[in-house]
Amino acid sequence: MWSSPMPERTIAVAMRRCFSTKVIEEIEAELEQKGPEYWKYLLTKALQDKSLDVLEHFTMTFFLEGANDAEVGGLIRNFPYLRATLLKGSDWMLSMNGRTLVELWRDPRGKEFAGLVVSELDSRSVCPVFSELAFGERVHAS
Amino acid sequence: MRVKLLYHTDIEALKRVLAQRGVPFDPELLMDHVVYMFEIEDCSRVTTHQLVRHRAASYDQESQRFSAATKEGMVTPPNIQSSEAAYKAYDEALKVIYSSYDKMVAAGVPKEDARYILPSAIKTKLVMTLSARSLMHIVWQRTALQAQWEIRELAATLHNLAKEATPELWTKVIER
Repeated sequence: MWSSPMPERTIAVAMRRCFSTKVIEEIEAELEQKGPEYWKYLLTKALQDKSLDVLEHFTMTFFLEGANDAEVGGLIRNFPYLRATLLKGSDWMLSMNGRTLVELWRDPRGKEFAGLVVSELDSRSVCPVFSELAFGERVHAS
Repeated sequence: MRVKLLYHTDIEALKRVLAQRGVPFDPELLMDHVVYMFEIEDCSRVTTHQLVRHRAASYDQESQRFSAATKEGMVTPPNIQSSEAAYKAYDEALKVIYSSYDKMVAAGVPKEDARYILPSAIKTKLVMTLSARSLMHIVWQRTALQAQWEIRELAATLHNLAKEATPELWTKVIER
């Protein structure tokens, strides 16, 4: 429904912020100049080092149809950073960040739901590199 | 201090979905779903220590483990600036601290260890991503008169930027 622009670049900005003294415009210029391969390198490093905090700056909002209170309540109990608002009947608005999505994916209690979200992101080509690196086993299986 | 809004949720995209589903627009519905990502530069570590107490947000901050500190990058509180005697004491302390820091780094102490003597007045940079609800909580708490001058200035700036980007969500928020 909506996701923050250029997720891989945003994650790279957050990573460089930790290690650079430069102002944001200089960090962005450096990332533009080095290009998507460098963003991929930084994202790979974040995932390898388990520095998942930088994924939190990639954010997304979805519309979920036909889910009951118990299903959504169960998810929120186990994943408190997931935000859900009941709109009408069994229709929900759900928001999360990239880290929560990875944590859902890696947990049997969240994997099925994460799979739905990842499919939606993939169908819109929102974050192909992030998707390949963070959810690679699914990519390889299909 | 400098604050820049890097992105925010496209509120129109969310409103279109609400309209398609026949759900009337209500700012309260979107409070947990609209997010903002800010760059904050050149505020003190005193203030960022206060800021990160607001836990329902995501932060990534310039690390003193890897970047060298310099005496020039300091925030001087007005109450120190305005008093000749106080400023003299402040400046003398900084000179001693930075001289020792430089000596330790030159002697091979890693920056992550040499930083133990750095003052909280040091300027820092960070990115922060948070929901409208979290940001409203910060604005409500940190624009209060009891809050310290620097974080009050930061909270008011964040408020202005968010209000400009998504005015419909900020109609009922009043700074204290």
